[in-house]
Amino acid sequence: MLARIATKEFTDTLRDGRFRWSAAIVITLLAAALGAGWKNYRDVKGQHDRAQTAMRDFWLNQPAKNPHSAAHYGVWAFKPRTLLSLVEQGVDPYVGVAAYLEAHKQNEFQFRPAMDATATQRFGQWTAATILQILLPLLIVVLAFPAFAGERELGTLRQLVSLGVKPSVLAGGKALGVAAGLGVLLVPATILGVMALALAASEGAFAVEMPRIGLMALTYLAYFVVFIAVSLVVSARARSSRVALLVLLAFWAVNSLVAPRVLSDVARRVAPTPSAFQFITALDADLKKGPDGHSPDVRTDSLRRTLLAKHRVSTVDSLPFNFDAVQMQQAEEDGNIVFDRHYGALYSAYRRQNIVHQLGAVVAPLLAVRALSMGLAGTDVEHHRAFADASEAYRRMLIKKMNGSMAENSRSGDFSYKADPSLWKEVPPFTYEQPPLVLSMGMQLPSLWLLLAWVVIGLVSVVRTRKLNLD
Amino acid sequence: MSATASLSSRAEPQPAVSPSTLAPAAVLEAKGLTKRFGAFTALNALDLEIPEGEVFCLLGANGAGKTTTINLFLNFVAPTAGTASIGGLDVTEHPLETKRHVAYIPEQVMLYKNLTGLENLDYFASLATGRSHDRDELLGYLARAGLQVDAATQRVGGYSKGMRQKVGIAIALAKRARALLLDEPTSGLDPKASNEFSELLSMLREHGAAILMATHDLFRAKESGTRVGIMKHGTLVQTLSTADIGHADLERIYLDHMRD
Ligand SMILES: Nc1ncnc2c1ncn2[C@@H]1O[C@H](COP(=O)(O)OP(=O)(O)O)[C@@H](O)[C@H]1O
Ligand SMILES: [Mg+2]
Repeated sequence: MLARIATKEFTDTLRDGRFRWSAAIVITLLAAALGAGWKNYRDVKGQHDRAQTAMRDFWLNQPAKNPHSAAHYGVWAFKPRTLLSLVEQGVDPYVGVAAYLEAHKQNEFQFRPAMDATATQRFGQWTAATILQILLPLLIVVLAFPAFAGERELGTLRQLVSLGVKPSVLAGGKALGVAAGLGVLLVPATILGVMALALAASEGAFAVEMPRIGLMALTYLAYFVVFIAVSLVVSARARSSRVALLVLLAFWAVNSLVAPRVLSDVARRVAPTPSAFQFITALDADLKKGPDGHSPDVRTDSLRRTLLAKHRVSTVDSLPFNFDAVQMQQAEEDGNIVFDRHYGALYSAYRRQNIVHQLGAVVAPLLAVRALSMGLAGTDVEHHRAFADASEAYRRMLIKKMNGSMAENSRSGDFSYKADPSLWKEVPPFTYEQPPLVLSMGMQLPSLWLLLAWVVIGLVSVVRTRKLNLD
Repeated sequence: MSATASLSSRAEPQPAVSPSTLAPAAVLEAKGLTKRFGAFTALNALDLEIPEGEVFCLLGANGAGKTTTINLFLNFVAPTAGTASIGGLDVTEHPLETKRHVAYIPEQVMLYKNLTGLENLDYFASLATGRSHDRDELLGYLARAGLQVDAATQRVGGYSKGMRQKVGIAIALAKRARALLLDEPTSGLDPKASNEFSELLSMLREHGAAILMATHDLFRAKESGTRVGIMKHGTLVQTLSTADIGHADLERIYLDHMRD
């Protein structure tokens, strides 16, 4: 019976000219977005790979030079684009994808005010994710709003009810029918998407990404189920199909336009983040103060006294190592403490903002879907932070090695020491693996639960359609 | 081949009616059935019994309460007092079960315009019976209702009112309905279509259906009905057996009631 109703709704939908038009438009947009995403992914990945190799060659082919100069010369670290970023760019366009790693400075590339992108900002770029998150629900609404209200106006609802059809079966069948209609464009779209991903993936990468791809597909499926359920429930209860359409369009607008913006504002209030200028100013002030409130000069003096006492000598020239290098490493580590404090505070504010965003899914399921989508694609702020942390750890390792070589192999005041190029090889190339799936999903728990709640409540409301209003 | 002949030559027997679900006496029964909309009484304490093989025609002016009566039997509206039962089961307590044996044909049979008549029948019939029917069986019902293959395979968008009614009858046939609720089914039909409809009713009645038909058409009521009830301001004021009176008598009695 369920299948029979679904089949009829499906046939009815397929014969509807409006459906055929809108489906054609949506699938064209999706295909275009996937194509553009694929091309962009391939181009950027190629550029990154080439730049990374060139960078490494440059580093290795440095002539003999002072290790601290080498540290100043620095290297670039590139954030590997994840495969799914071709579907969901997430915050990547706002935070940048490369970090310049050099002595004395933590990379600042990740600091952009647009991190919590609002819907309108995202509207500009038609990635596949935008289409799935914004446009598909609109199509569902247009498809499903007359499900009951339209039949009521046509008079066929009386005919159906007079047959003794269970309202819940009718609602379930209609839900399946809308889902089948949607399948007409989602099945080819999924095939296209998987093809684009498989084409773009390097050897073996596709298999590795399978769980993420699968979960992302499930996330969007759940999202569409929610919209189908909401549309049917509204259509069953609305006075007329006009009212049903208006209510559903309002829900769509709140979900995709209003809520993301409002939640961004709320998040900024709950966990304020400084402007780029404020951040740098505060950071510089603290760097000057030193990690314990003592100025770098005072810290250098106390380091000098400690080391002179330890080695029972009276001048730094008599120390068995280059005091300048040791002092520079101490300054480096002092700076790191300050960096960790400032960046730590910044990222924890972002994390709190993110949780506020996710909780917004209580009213707008889009917010849960967006968080999950970006988390699965590896393009959310947390993934960005993981990359920033990894590149920062690499920078510290590199600087420490350079300062260590200088300390060991030269004496205080000797800035003319030149390290042998073999030293460059001792620094391994920068590699980065994105955090494991479980870890990144841990950050999306509110979204996971809220989306699940929407699905359950939606389906239960459809199944619990008991009485149908006939006029 | 007449519709009646084709019905009686049907291979499949009617399903046996279990005495537990269908009381032998009355298929359609109203007891003190009353419906008020606010202070307005649309139907006042209706007592009515329609056994198998009877066509009861409800006559009455617009607003007399005929549609309300039918809507109450279909549980489309809830009664203010009294009960409506089909096959001995209260329609408010058994909303799904009581509909299993009833077919409803309103003034306008509403169908899906994007589907053909055959597809509409297929859909409604399978929802009514919970099983699928093959094409020949369905075309058979449509033919018996007077709709031939070429018309049946066209989309309903271009159907006349009479053609829609025939699809409605075909649904009733497919459903093996024991009771029919007809709300002014012939109003707006041309005389020929109206006559065909009456013949279909006779066929269904002869087959043991209990039929309640609301109508304005005194002539049709006398022709097709076994009994007529005259309804006025929500009250059933008189019930007559059509066999006992002529057209002229019926018209006189009806107009007498309408006078004041
Ligand atoms: N939902 C309703 N609300 C208020 N009044 C109604 C409603 N439905 C019917 N009525 C009134 O009940 C009376 C009987 O209506 P109805 O049964 O449709 O008459 P008819 O005999 O013409 O079919 C009418 O006066 C009508 O206006
Ligand atoms: Mg009426």
